[in-house]
Amino acid sequence: MKNKIIWVVDDDIIYQTIIQKIIQKSGVFSSHFSFLNGKEAITSLNNTLEINEEYIPDIILLDINMPIMDGWEFMEEIKKIKTKINKNINIYIVSSSIAIEDKNKSKTFTDIMGYIPKPISVNDLIAIVSKEYN
Amino acid sequence: MKTEKSWTNFTNWFAIRPRTTGFLLFIILSFGVISVSLLRNHIEKEDERYEMNLLLDDAHHNMEQSLKNCYTTTVSLALTLNNDGIPQNFDTISKKLIKSNPLVSAVQLVPNGIIKYIYPMKGNEAAMNLNILDTEYLKKEAEKSIETQKIYFAGPLPLRQGGIGIVGRLPIYTNNTFWGFTAVVIKLETLLKTSGINSIDHSNYYFQISKKNPKTSKEQFFLPSKKDFSKSYYLSKSISDSDWKLYLIAKKPFVIYPQILFRLIVGLIIAMIFGAITTKLLKKPEELEFLLKVQESKLLKNELKFKTIFDQAPMGIAIIEVTSNIFLETNNKYCDMLGYTFEEIKKKGIANLTYPEDVASSLLNLKKLNEGKITEYSSEKRYITNSGKTLWVTLTVSPLWETNEKPTSHIAFIKDITIRKESEKLIKKSTDRFKSLINTIDGIVWEYDLELMTSTFISKKIESILGYSVNEYSESPTFWEDHIHPEDRELALALSVRENKDYNDRNYEYRMIAKNGKVIWIRDIINFVFENDKPLISRGIMIDITIMKESEKDLNDSLQLVTEQNKRLLNFSYIVSHNLRSHTSNIESIISLIESAESEKERKEMMLLLKSVSDSLDETMKHLNEVVNINTNVNLLIKPLNLSKYISKAKDVLCEQVQLHEVSFIENVPDDAMINYNSSYLESILYNLISNAIRYRHPLRKPIISINLYKEKDKDVIEISDNGIGIDLVRNSDKIFGMYKTFSNNADAKGIGLFITKNQVDAMGGSITLESIPNVGSKFKIYTK
Repeated sequence: MKNKIIWVVDDDIIYQTIIQKIIQKSGVFSSHFSFLNGKEAITSLNNTLEINEEYIPDIILLDINMPIMDGWEFMEEIKKIKTKINKNINIYIVSSSIAIEDKNKSKTFTDIMGYIPKPISVNDLIAIVSKEYN
Repeated sequence: MKTEKSWTNFTNWFAIRPRTTGFLLFIILSFGVISVSLLRNHIEKEDERYEMNLLLDDAHHNMEQSLKNCYTTTVSLALTLNNDGIPQNFDTISKKLIKSNPLVSAVQLVPNGIIKYIYPMKGNEAAMNLNILDTEYLKKEAEKSIETQKIYFAGPLPLRQGGIGIVGRLPIYTNNTFWGFTAVVIKLETLLKTSGINSIDHSNYYFQISKKNPKTSKEQFFLPSKKDFSKSYYLSKSISDSDWKLYLIAKKPFVIYPQILFRLIVGLIIAMIFGAITTKLLKKPEELEFLLKVQESKLLKNELKFKTIFDQAPMGIAIIEVTSNIFLETNNKYCDMLGYTFEEIKKKGIANLTYPEDVASSLLNLKKLNEGKITEYSSEKRYITNSGKTLWVTLTVSPLWETNEKPTSHIAFIKDITIRKESEKLIKKSTDRFKSLINTIDGIVWEYDLELMTSTFISKKIESILGYSVNEYSESPTFWEDHIHPEDRELALALSVRENKDYNDRNYEYRMIAKNGKVIWIRDIINFVFENDKPLISRGIMIDITIMKESEKDLNDSLQLVTEQNKRLLNFSYIVSHNLRSHTSNIESIISLIESAESEKERKEMMLLLKSVSDSLDETMKHLNEVVNINTNVNLLIKPLNLSKYISKAKDVLCEQVQLHEVSFIENVPDDAMINYNSSYLESILYNLISNAIRYRHPLRKPIISINLYKEKDKDVIEISDNGIGIDLVRNSDKIFGMYKTFSNNADAKGIGLFITKNQVDAMGGSITLESIPNVGSKFKIYTK
């Protein structure tokens, strides 16, 4: 179980600190990476695909509002390289926005597995992983 | 007196018998003509006879003269004989004699009846020694001359020497014994020539010579003649010393002379013409009399007819004397209409019968007619009937005299039009009612004739709605078009044209310009009136809906304002919610982590984190407060500000960074340029935009910031452009002015400056736009109100 890789894409540094703690507490991930925007994340993903496919994440927690490249742009980018990825990446939107528009928009992307409003808890993470593999 | 009468009778007798008279006249004239012609003919005949006598006398005289000459010749010849009876110098004397008497062709001496001497001998030889007393055909005549002892002309007889001749023989006695004859031979031809018989006009007359045959005593003619003239007219005369008779015969029998015949015929024709003309002339009175009778009967019939018309006419007729205006005659209808008898009418007179108000005009018209100023007139007037009712009539008055005659009387016709007048009154009343109704309608009622293409009615409301009078409207055929608001004219006319083709009732709104220049909103409700499926008239009401339109506009403006505000509020609440939630969720998470903290160190760590969350929350709250302030500050102080000074102020605040990054400015703002703005907003906006331009400078070049002020559509525009990194507008256009939107990795980017700027510009009633190309630069434009 403890071999899952999780990426967190969010521009809120405080949130990044908090989620790090939560990931550690959940104890279900083998490794964890943080990105401040979609651009950083997609660049890393491309690099990972080229260098070491083992490090391709199993789960991505994606914020919507970010500078440079937001969540939706990231989803558009990932669509382009989807064929190159041999692994099933489960993407979850984690946002402080409770606007119904955002929630509905998330449904238009088939790659988005769920919409989790902040704050996310340890149990949420465990639930994602267990749902994923049960 | 009596003769006169009998004369009249006599002439009348002829007058009434034109044919007989004509014929009689013809007979009398013919008789006269014939008599004259006969008389004339007779005179002509006498003339001719006289002429013939003259001719005959002349010829007779000539012949006798010639024969006398011959006698002289014979006597002269006898003188050649001497006493013994022997001729002396016969030839010489003969020659002289013949010469002196050319009638004689030859002379002879015939002693004892035997021709012994002849001169000239030549050609006469055959006669020599002829014994004439022995020759049978000569003997008788020779003896006759002996018997009478006078010259006797024998012949004409054929001559021995040829031809026909006359021989004049003179018996000569010597010593009282018969010696013989001296003879002259005359050629008949020569005789006739010398006597002039041959030279007369042979066309009318001819001569004949006859002789009693010595043997038979019968008359013998010896000039060649064509016919027996015993039936012709002739004259005769005996010639002495011979048994000859000279005749003058008219060649033509006595008939009527052609010229006289011609005159006779012409005379008869004239007589006939006279007869015919007389007949015709005498007939004329008869015809005239007949015509007169026909006319008379016609006249009688007409009079009857007119009398009937007069009496039975379905309109009142009166004949009125000119000067006195007294009624001479009225028909029954006239009396019936007024309810009076003729006598009563006559007694009352025109003035008393007429409705008091109409008296003056009636009398004036009559006066004009009498004076000849008008020849006839028609009018509508009122009478008062016997029963006291008012009788409306149409009156037609015509003169009963010719223009050049003295005025006598005129004829007046009256026709009852009371019912018509009453209906007219009713119609007028209802029309007036409709008019006043129409004028009370709170809209301009109008009517337009589609065939004549003209306006036929406009209600008075036009004065209170548009300020123009009804006259001003009707004087201008294009009033409507001319007074439509210029912006609406094209559309209104297009609609009007289209609807006037389809004839659909319609209802549309447009603006018009009133006389005082005010814009009036009109709702025009139009209907079409059809007759036999053909549209004749369009009709409508123009209702003033200006107040409605104005409130509608106010309402719309308010709605727009409210909608805008609502949108902004919603956006703001969203921003607030989102921003607060990100903090609260962090707080929630931290608290949960604190609760489950396994060590004091971890808890402390979380507490520090919580503090930083609190700080950023505080900052967020400050920002939101600022935005709320901008949006709620309705009564911002706006005054003219010197833009140049404010730019300098912003540069002073940022002077450290300007110096550090070697920023250069290109300013295109006049020193005295003033713009109406709120002081602190202008400060803030300039600060934010200039600091942004420095913050997002391009790493490879020194920043250049240009600031321009100009006008666009009467609005002041402040333009701030840089040569910085720019923003990818394709990706970020909807986020640029949003809160906490950052587009770069710049650590200073907070995503609040442009948000605040946008709110401030909006609060000033203006707008802000951005043009930008990544790696080239950005250009912000701030539009004032």
